[in-house]
Amino acid sequence: MTPRRSPAVLHRRALLRALAAGAVALPLLSACTSDDAPDGPDPLAALAARAESDAAAATAIAAAVPALAAVAGEVARVRAEHAQALTAEVDRVSPPAGTAPATTPPPSAAPQVPADPAAAKAAVVKALADAEQQITPLVATVPRHRAGLIASVAAACAALQEVLA
Amino acid sequence: MQEQPDPPVVDPTDAAQPTTVPASLPPMAEDTLAAVQAALGAEHAAVWVYGLVSAFLPASFNTSIAQGALAHRARRDATERLLGAAGAVPRPAEPAYLPPRPVADQAGALALLVTAEQDATVAWRAVLERTDDVDVRETAAEALVEESVRATRWRIAAGIDPATPAFPGRP
Repeated sequence: MTPRRSPAVLHRRALLRALAAGAVALPLLSACTSDDAPDGPDPLAALAARAESDAAAATAIAAAVPALAAVAGEVARVRAEHAQALTAEVDRVSPPAGTAPATTPPPSAAPQVPADPAAAKAAVVKALADAEQQITPLVATVPRHRAGLIASVAAACAALQEVLA
Repeated sequence: MQEQPDPPVVDPTDAAQPTTVPASLPPMAEDTLAAVQAALGAEHAAVWVYGLVSAFLPASFNTSIAQGALAHRARRDATERLLGAAGAVPRPAEPAYLPPRPVADQAGALALLVTAEQDATVAWRAVLERTDDVDVRETAAEALVEESVRATRWRIAAGIDPATPAFPGRP
């Protein structure tokens, strides 16, 4: 059992609410939280979550659309590796609580697979392009080793779009 | 950070001779400098490779070869300008390079193109891990993406599977 409302969580949520209220505070915050223990949510957690959902979507498409089995399977494999590496980096900085199995969210509903192969392919390409876009602005602000990691993830997403082209 | 303490006499982007550009940027830290020089070395090598391979590839590859050669020359020149602006002397190209395997046919030429692009991705990712400079990071990330895409294009042409590693530039 994990305590549902530890002071740290409350503090973080309060901070997020304050930030949502005044977006002008953001540049100030990012300027003083460039160390390894950020106060806000780890930006790599969002990248990891996206990689995981991309992998799940690509797996579903590989299974449902035979014409895309090979390429979508390749996307699924690479994005799953991204999710794993990004999660490992998030956990390295802020180790998760020991009761992880109990708090792991249940798997979300099976991803929607477009019936039309062209639409399915377009969906995979768009997901990869979005992932790349999500990373670009972060490269300038994260610590060095993270800059290498996330730029490499963006490069793989760009290369996968070439595979699907 | 683009600091310009004095009005520059010559705009670095217009200079024909990178080594004569007046220093308009602060000097690079030693580790950053070594990484950027290594990346320049990889660009020199890639330019050399693109010049070598065309003799072993059919005309259908001409456009891809020309585009890749142009991109690496531009990247090489920009990197020389960057180093010159930071007061460093850009590392010159080697007179020749030794391919891992001698190139005698189309397969060998494509494999060498993959190697050249891959080497460049490794060099630019290393730059990302050795600088806090926003502009240098932007350049390095751009190079890493472009070269990963070209490496993938050449792997596909060569029938190499998988067409991309999960982490391009990881040595």
